[in-house]
Amino acid sequence: MKLVASIYISPKGVFLNNELQFSLTEENWKKEIYSKLEIDYSKFHKMDALSKMAFLSTETLSNAVNTNKYDDNGMVLLFANASSSQDTDLKYINSYEVKGSPSPSLFVYTLPNILTGELAIRHKWYGENCFYIEEKFDAEFYLEQINFYFSKGAKACLCGWVNSFDGKEECFEFLIENEGNDNKELIKEELIKLYNQ
Amino acid sequence: MSEIFMTYGTMITPLGNSTEANFDAMLKNKSGVKFIDNSGFNQENWPLGRISSLPSEERYNTLLKRACHNLIEVHGRDLFSNKQTLVIISSTKADINALPKDTFASTRTILKEELELKNKIVVISNACISGVIAINTAADYLNHSDYEKVVVIGIDALSDFIVYGFQSLFALSNEPSKPFDKNRKGICIGEACGVVILSKEKINDAFHVNYLGGSSSNDANHISGPSRTGEGLFRSVNKTMNRATITSDQIDFISAHGTGTNYNDEMESIAFDRLGLINTPLNSLKGYFGHTLGAAGLIEVISTMKMMEHNILLKSIGFEETGTTRAINVLKESKEQEVTTILKTASGFGGGNASLLLKKCP
Amino acid sequence: MSDLKQTLKEQIIEQLNLEDLTPADIQDDAPLFGEGLGLDSIDALEFIVLLEQNYGIKIADPSEGKDIFQSVNSLAEYIEKNNKT
Repeated sequence: MKLVASIYISPKGVFLNNELQFSLTEENWKKEIYSKLEIDYSKFHKMDALSKMAFLSTETLSNAVNTNKYDDNGMVLLFANASSSQDTDLKYINSYEVKGSPSPSLFVYTLPNILTGELAIRHKWYGENCFYIEEKFDAEFYLEQINFYFSKGAKACLCGWVNSFDGKEECFEFLIENEGNDNKELIKEELIKLYNQ
Repeated sequence: MSEIFMTYGTMITPLGNSTEANFDAMLKNKSGVKFIDNSGFNQENWPLGRISSLPSEERYNTLLKRACHNLIEVHGRDLFSNKQTLVIISSTKADINALPKDTFASTRTILKEELELKNKIVVISNACISGVIAINTAADYLNHSDYEKVVVIGIDALSDFIVYGFQSLFALSNEPSKPFDKNRKGICIGEACGVVILSKEKINDAFHVNYLGGSSSNDANHISGPSRTGEGLFRSVNKTMNRATITSDQIDFISAHGTGTNYNDEMESIAFDRLGLINTPLNSLKGYFGHTLGAAGLIEVISTMKMMEHNILLKSIGFEETGTTRAINVLKESKEQEVTTILKTASGFGGGNASLLLKKCP
Repeated sequence: MSDLKQTLKEQIIEQLNLEDLTPADIQDDAPLFGEGLGLDSIDALEFIVLLEQNYGIKIADPSEGKDIFQSVNSLAEYIEKNNKT
């Protein structure tokens, strides 16, 4: 396997392979990235924070490396976080407890795996998806799952750790290809380093 | 790939507190779906698959503890407190009442304490296909790790959160749901816990099946509406058949997803037609339990294993007249028949589709 | 009518959680669904809530909304005719 690229976004800025692409100043930092990337995708504005972050990270990654060179079943999406969709869950509860009517457009985002659906739609990826709830970022766990999917024929795994809760937002994505013979332990150390920087 | 076995863990639904009690009720075609007063937003009454013995508070945690209790009673403590046993949880919302705190925290605590687990717990939350993906992941662990046994627990409890949500989508049925029927009106939500145990060798004398293979595929089409062409389901089942080296003519029966909504059931009929499975007998068990989200894949697989054990195909409750453009073979009546190889499918929000194939052990 | 349209745009942004947008981003005659704002059948359900909560207009069958929800113009026209508040 081979670590192709990584991306980290938070209100601090956009970091591609640990290098700052641009820093962010606006309060609506996700819209700021959207504008800077000059994307025209009206569905973006309807997404919840998790989907927006995963969308923007994947757009940045796709600008930097070719993410569409695999056949359309070949890209596997493995995402995880610690807080599920709690942020949107609370907004949705507010819609019927305070605002007077349960909001269908919020309800559909009260599942964390909606974000992998958004990525699949945008990039026409028909491959396997899985969303895990983990207590913390665990590089070893991702590599274990990646190994499962590579042994079943996947060409690449786009993995993500994306959290939105209590005002804290971040998304870390990395792309691993089923080509090359990089040492798994070294990739693990590299991922831990990349996430913590 | 080595041989993988699967057997019953436990099953708790409105129809019973054990796998046997559930199957006995199913043989009598009983349904656990009943009208519940004031269950919806604006005090509307909806038919739901509600477990009446659960307390109104702490439904989820009580259900999970009950399942742990059953597991120990049936299998003993050692199976779970073993270093070579892994537990995978499939749930969409876990303990939703814990919000704003971590909704999965109580799941981890209860399982660690009740089952004295030695390893980390893997949590899969992938909408309505979570259960099938969790079983597929369990097989991956057995194929590629040192674990000898993997316990897969699917669980979701009823809450205002879920009922109001499906109500707001106009997706609820105002009568017990009728999957695949011409007059189907939507979903009935339910609650349940289902557990299976996968292993490298048979774990006891009970009925076991072989897990042959599984996969998932995204529709890449819409986050809440199913693909009009059944693309993701078609791709997933194809992938699963390839992995299992099984062809469509070898499949005796399909345990379909069949939620009872217009679009979902129509999509499934199109996918099964495209797959050459239009004549294969199938049912949806949503008429027995309602749609139990993260538990659905598990309780439907367990029920289907019971059908394999007893060579009986249970009818699809609520189905009377073909209501999809493709005339798939939905079971109007239960019938005795040798059942060797079965296909289980699921589809859900986020555009996900998943499937797996099981075969009776020789 | 133009006041109503401005209010409607604010209500659409609020109801559909389109916090990235301002009323100026929504044209009176632009299609709200499909290309335009990228809205879909789930969002149509939000319009039903919006009409009921703000204008006392009840739409029982979501499919009735198709023509009404075409644009801000068509929504405003329908409200003018049916407003019960």
